[in-house]
Amino acid sequence: MRTTHIFTMAIVASCLVATAAKAENVDLSTVPNRNTVQLTIYNSEDLTLVRETRKVSFKPGANPLQFSWANTLIDPSSVELRFLTHGDKLSVLDTTFPHAKPQMLYWNVQSELDGEATIEISYFTAGIGWSADYVCIADADEAKVGIEGFVRVTNNSGEDYEDAQVRLVVGRINLVQKIAELARITPQQVAELEDSAKARFRGDALRKAMDASLAVSSAGAMAPAAAPQGRAEAPKEVAKEGLGEYFIYTIEGTETIRAGWSKRMRSLEAEAVPMKIQYRYRPAEYGEQLVRMVLLTNDKESKLDTTPLPDGTVRLFRRNGRDGLTYLTAQPIKYVPIGDKFELNLGVDPEVIFDLVKLRTSRDELWMLVNGANIYRRVDRAGVQIEVNSTVAGWDDRATFAQRVRNYTKKPIDLEIRRTLPGHVVFRSELPVKNHDFQTVQYTANVKPGEKANLLYETVQRQGYNAKQNNVTIERAAIAP
Amino acid sequence: MRFHRSLLCLAVAAASVVPATAFARIKLITLPVRERVEIQLDNPNATLVEEERIVPLVRGVNQVDFSWANTQIDPGTIVFRVVGGAAKADAKAEAKATDPLDVKVLSVSYPPNEASLVWQVSSNGSGGARVRISYLLGNMNKSFNYRATASNDEKTLVLSEYMRIQNLANESFGSSGLWAGFGPRFLKPIGINETKEMLVEKFAEVPVKKTYTCDPQAHGYLDRPQNKLMVPMHYVLTNNKANRLGAAPLQYGKVRIFQEDGHGGTAFIGEDWGKFTPLDDEMRLYVGVAQDIVVRRTIDKNEVHRIAGNLYNREVVVKYEIENFKDKAAVLDVSENVRAIRNEVAGDTGRDVQWELDKATTFDGGPDKEKSTFEQLLYHVSLPARGADGKADKIVHKLHLLIKNEW
Repeated sequence: MRTTHIFTMAIVASCLVATAAKAENVDLSTVPNRNTVQLTIYNSEDLTLVRETRKVSFKPGANPLQFSWANTLIDPSSVELRFLTHGDKLSVLDTTFPHAKPQMLYWNVQSELDGEATIEISYFTAGIGWSADYVCIADADEAKVGIEGFVRVTNNSGEDYEDAQVRLVVGRINLVQKIAELARITPQQVAELEDSAKARFRGDALRKAMDASLAVSSAGAMAPAAAPQGRAEAPKEVAKEGLGEYFIYTIEGTETIRAGWSKRMRSLEAEAVPMKIQYRYRPAEYGEQLVRMVLLTNDKESKLDTTPLPDGTVRLFRRNGRDGLTYLTAQPIKYVPIGDKFELNLGVDPEVIFDLVKLRTSRDELWMLVNGANIYRRVDRAGVQIEVNSTVAGWDDRATFAQRVRNYTKKPIDLEIRRTLPGHVVFRSELPVKNHDFQTVQYTANVKPGEKANLLYETVQRQGYNAKQNNVTIERAAIAP
Repeated sequence: MRFHRSLLCLAVAAASVVPATAFARIKLITLPVRERVEIQLDNPNATLVEEERIVPLVRGVNQVDFSWANTQIDPGTIVFRVVGGAAKADAKAEAKATDPLDVKVLSVSYPPNEASLVWQVSSNGSGGARVRISYLLGNMNKSFNYRATASNDEKTLVLSEYMRIQNLANESFGSSGLWAGFGPRFLKPIGINETKEMLVEKFAEVPVKKTYTCDPQAHGYLDRPQNKLMVPMHYVLTNNKANRLGAAPLQYGKVRIFQEDGHGGTAFIGEDWGKFTPLDDEMRLYVGVAQDIVVRRTIDKNEVHRIAGNLYNREVVVKYEIENFKDKAAVLDVSENVRAIRNEVAGDTGRDVQWELDKATTFDGGPDKEKSTFEQLLYHVSLPARGADGKADKIVHKLHLLIKNEW
């Protein structure tokens, strides 16, 4: 445990006036301790809103308060003082940022109170972040998966936070300046910033937003649940609630996160979540390979639907049926709203062989342009004399393909294949096919265990004079192997 | 297991502590040893280590430290699971079997600038909990290699598949389960910087097909001025049960090929990289050049027939003069790429070739339907052994192509 606080708050005992904030060389001060501290940490920006309360004794008249934050990453423009008790008898006359002492300020508090009051100091700091990650363990038959979600808070702010209530904000906020940049300049420079007013406006708006949720979250989340007799203490609950465009995770009770440390806590757990396996060929997304995908949904059936899933890394394992695990993949997922699906790419499956074979090609519908005249003549039209002095202007390229799939797994597999065919193209097949977009077709198949499927299709690409469109049309037709 | 050499360390604080005091400087720790290690090598890109330890816990919150100095463990992949087998030490003896410890992980803390982490684990009683710690470990590499011994008549071979594990992970593992995702599970120790090779599968009496191939695009010429094509000899193995393989896909690796010399010994006849071979696919192993089969390739005919304007058909005849100077009959695979022929005689138009076989083609039976495509043709030609007088018959074949609708 660290023996010194980087933050100090002192009541300076010198006789002060607003213009002469403190004695030059001889000081006497008292140092009130923190009573509570709350961290609201954003994962989309390097930003944490810190609220701390302290009990301070005031005397009637002027009471100077010194607040300093050496070697931390606090935005000086964000530091605010509020009186939680006796607010009607206490007021801040002015705030001074001394030129000679960076990372320090004085509040000149006018008091009608002779006694103790609770104050709240709030500020933004950089250097504290959080991230999410998920550990998923699928059953051996890959029908269900257990999912554990975690949040990991990392404290590189330079300050220990002991017994802090921790709240994590899921969502993307807008900042006009980085807190870490603001923390590195002097208070004088902060005051000179053209947009400092905007920064304060931003801070006020954030505080108001957070205040709205505090009343709800603190009541339920601060009290730790009593562990039933004879059972192990349960991991802390993480309360989740929506707030406008954001979601707030409030970790039960308090946490101590020392400077330089990080701490990981379980945020969600779901057992037997249904999972679906699909094999996909989408070159634009996964490259020129058939990949095995795990499809999951953040919905009621999955028991995950209480919260959106924050951005994070998913690590997927499978029980290997031999009292151990098989590592399948680790990959990042983006924010998953409630009800939305998320997908994991497991890469190529060596037990599913996927080949595209071009069986034959031909050209027809040949049109010639008579040189020197704007006349087109089709080559194979009966009775038409073709000029010697002419050039090929239009034709159709025909190609027949066999999409060969061999399934050596023990289960039937679902395939979904997308092919982008630029230009004016006709796609002919008996496969279940549809347009994914104007130049991409998508066809599907189910291949049984041990089956060798031969999925046939033909493309007719209209070229030159024959190309009248830039799209793919689908025709149902039997294709000879 | 020599724990004192282990760089991976698990330590449990023996006193019931709370998180706020978990990091005190003075503490008493126990060091649970590994009870079981499984090294899963089934992922092509990662090695998963699972180790089981019996962790002594006291009632309340316990601190379990895990550190991995100088090893490449991905801390994000570390998973801590209680796998049962734990029983309350303070329970009555008869209750032990039905009264396991209720153990839960409360949180994980990561100290700064250290390869370590600290689990806060709660337990409803005192006793040993069997836990499994899984993590991805870097620098534990695996590769495969093969030794093939062909019979003297080259009709069958014995194929041995070996897995080689190189432990550069800076951590020794005592007797550990090793599994490649197929084949048997091995139980072996593997020390720091050790390399261990194990026989995964041994396939006996595997039919081997010996092929001679001429393909000007793939293999080129042995003597270009003389128009003599290169004729490589391959051993071809088919990875299925009918050919006494087919247990699993054959992994990529070097194949060293030996042949029984008929005198109780073997001779090394070549080596090749065996590609990853799925079930039912062929592994083709290039053994060497067959200089006793001579193939001369010439283009006998190249004629253009105009259809209209700049549109024409082209007639091409490729002639092959083949001689087998071997004492044995052989089958030669003649492979041609029609697009390459068009490019050879007329230049590349960038378009696929529309072609038909014309009447002067002499190959019997037509192209191999399985292995030929819209532009690649494969023919099989039977070659008799040379005669008793040492002379070889010259066999002439022609490939007559009508290349259509070119401009």
